[in-house]
Amino acid sequence: MLAIADNFFAQFALPAGFEIDSGKLNARYRELQAQVHPDRFAAAGEARRLQAIQLSSYLNEAYETLRSPLRRAGYLLRLQGIDVEQVAQSDLAPELLFEQMELRESLAELPENESAFDQLDELNRKAANRLAERQGQFVQALAGNQLEEARKLFHELQFLHKFQMEIHKKEESLESVADF
Amino acid sequence: MSLLQISEPGGGAARRAVHRRAAGIDLGTTNSLVATAVGGEVRTLADADGAHLLPSAVHYGAAGVLAVGAAAKARAAADPGNVVVSAKRALGKSLGELQTGGNFRPYRFDAGKGNAAPAFVTAAGPRDPVEVSAAILRALARRCREETGEELAGAVITVPAYFNDAQRQQTRHAAELAGIEVLRLLNEPTAAAVAYGLDRGEHGNIIVFDLGGGTFDVSLLSLQKGVFEVLATGGDTALGGDDFDQAVADWLIAQSGAETVAAPDWPALLQVANRAREQLSDADQAEVAWRDWRGTLDAAQFTEIVAALVRRTILSCRRVMRDAGMDTGAIDNVLLVGGATRMPVIRGAVTKFFGREPLTDIDPDRVVAMGAGIQAEVLIGNRSTGDFLLLDVNPLSLGIETMGELVEKIIRRNTAIPVAKSQEFTTFRDGQTAMALHVVQGERELVSECRSLARFTLGGIPPMVAGAAKVKVTFQVDADGLLSVSAEEASTGSKAEVQVKPSFGLDSGQIEQMLRDSRNHAREDMRARALGEARLDATRLMDAIKSAIEEDGAILSAAEQDGIDQALAELRKALAEEDPTRIEELTRELNRTSEAFAARRMDLAVGAALRGESIDTLGCEAE
Repeated sequence: MLAIADNFFAQFALPAGFEIDSGKLNARYRELQAQVHPDRFAAAGEARRLQAIQLSSYLNEAYETLRSPLRRAGYLLRLQGIDVEQVAQSDLAPELLFEQMELRESLAELPENESAFDQLDELNRKAANRLAERQGQFVQALAGNQLEEARKLFHELQFLHKFQMEIHKKEESLESVADF
Repeated sequence: MSLLQISEPGGGAARRAVHRRAAGIDLGTTNSLVATAVGGEVRTLADADGAHLLPSAVHYGAAGVLAVGAAAKARAAADPGNVVVSAKRALGKSLGELQTGGNFRPYRFDAGKGNAAPAFVTAAGPRDPVEVSAAILRALARRCREETGEELAGAVITVPAYFNDAQRQQTRHAAELAGIEVLRLLNEPTAAAVAYGLDRGEHGNIIVFDLGGGTFDVSLLSLQKGVFEVLATGGDTALGGDDFDQAVADWLIAQSGAETVAAPDWPALLQVANRAREQLSDADQAEVAWRDWRGTLDAAQFTEIVAALVRRTILSCRRVMRDAGMDTGAIDNVLLVGGATRMPVIRGAVTKFFGREPLTDIDPDRVVAMGAGIQAEVLIGNRSTGDFLLLDVNPLSLGIETMGELVEKIIRRNTAIPVAKSQEFTTFRDGQTAMALHVVQGERELVSECRSLARFTLGGIPPMVAGAAKVKVTFQVDADGLLSVSAEEASTGSKAEVQVKPSFGLDSGQIEQMLRDSRNHAREDMRARALGEARLDATRLMDAIKSAIEEDGAILSAAEQDGIDQALAELRKALAEEDPTRIEELTRELNRTSEAFAARRMDLAVGAALRGESIDTLGCEAE
């Protein structure tokens, strides 16, 4: 019912790489789900339905991995045989740690009222710019087969991504007290 | 009666051999509805008085259920405590939550036995929200059966998208208790989008803003070529029209100078508040009276009273947009669902936030049931699966407790379902041979701030140094949004599995007991149901034969005509009496008597079909 490809990129007939055509990814995802989704097999036998759940879950996992830039980057490294789960202290440059501390401090110092929104936007922009910059470097490192460098950049991306989530959390908590 | 049924010419090959009756059920906090295919189109069904909405109210007396729906609701003020309304709000809640939540006046609660769900104390004894919901579902299934003359083979039941695992499980239990086969639990906003989008061949990004009687959901969907992909969903399962009534009631108390309001008076007070709120949907002010006090509530005052509630809905909208990483400018349409969205104050806030006027040309009360009905037709096999596909998400993050009472999230909110994810954990003590796993749901980082779903233990881990054992924990969420968890130790293959049930859920013994009770109870009205069905079948056959004779009476011999007339007369007489068996016998007799006539008519009809003329179906199939 669905041929499982060698990797997630091939599953969606996309070239393996960080830059991705998200429109194509989404269209292909919908097409494939239309073939395997459990709703297509509601009246089928138990075994067939179970298979549908498995295939549909697999497609969802593949889709979500490629859709998120961070997870996509990690997956590209995994395809190169690099374990991104383990992080050693030595993987993280002191500059990176300083940058993180600085960003986190500015977040912590924000006032608990609506005047913080502008500064939050500013921080958000900063994080987004740095993310874009690191992503560019990651693409280059990967293209040049500098896998060690790519791995370090990936961990930096992880940090920045986490920081963005914290900005969102802060936004949510501010919204719950502020007027708008 | 089979011989009297002639299928449409040309449609025979494509048509399935067996048509099975499927329905969509919107089990709402305040009102519930059932929708099914009538004449090829999914529609909501009305009761004998023409009302589509069945108030979600159940009146209990010493003998059990006295009334369900409007009749029960009408007695809420006269018999407070025994008329259970808004039971949906109590689904999945613990006793503590029910007793401290202010919205459950005038009820008293009972802890239930052992691990059972807490129950409303009624004249019939303790009745938990699952049983109350089952009574409502039973009434809807009966309506469907009476309207279509067919047994319900399966139903899609809608739940708020933001329902947690416990609430979903209990909704399923309620259906089981009512004897309804659940084809799928479908998220309410998704159902609404289906009914709305399929109809118009809509595509683009759609916001479904669903404010019902007791729950609030907001979902962002992308519609393309019949595929409905939910991008993000959010909401509040404890926010709805009821809360607006409560706010007005509190205002009334303050205005009237009443010191306290006794619990039994709440239903009457809430009705006054509800009427005022509904008046304000069409007028600038409403006259209100509570006890000796009289006054007016105008739109500006009302806006102020409910500002905090409106704000909560908009906060959820913000979160959904943020989760999807989308700007409000990318929204193509905003769909309002749920009776509470008729309030101008809600429409205004939604328009302001999304920067566009919401669509208001669909009935916000019926659209959810209709979408569920369409999905039910597909899942039961009456309708082609090629029409559309729903891709939904998991509304709340699912995780596991780790060291320091922290939550490790395994499946994040807004992940597409079905989904399976695994994560490895390890032992933290030397020689540890068992691992206790605690499954939780929620967005917070501390276990105590999330909802506990299940605890189980994986044993049989070989003794090793701390950190050496590898335990793979797998979370699976199916298309209903229900979770199951398994754990496996790598070196020995030792396994443990749980289908997650709410920790205050029913054990299987209790479900059996409840099923037994409901069966006993059902026996009382079984005869009444059998009588109704027998009468319906008889009437349909009589009608069919009468109109057949009108059309093709010419092909009847005098003897045949006499035989049929006599059988008709006897059946008509039996209809006036109360014996279902007798009616069934005579119906069969009438069918036998008219067989030859039916066969000849069939030949005629086939002949006509070959000539390309259309024929009416003679049978009584609604479609």
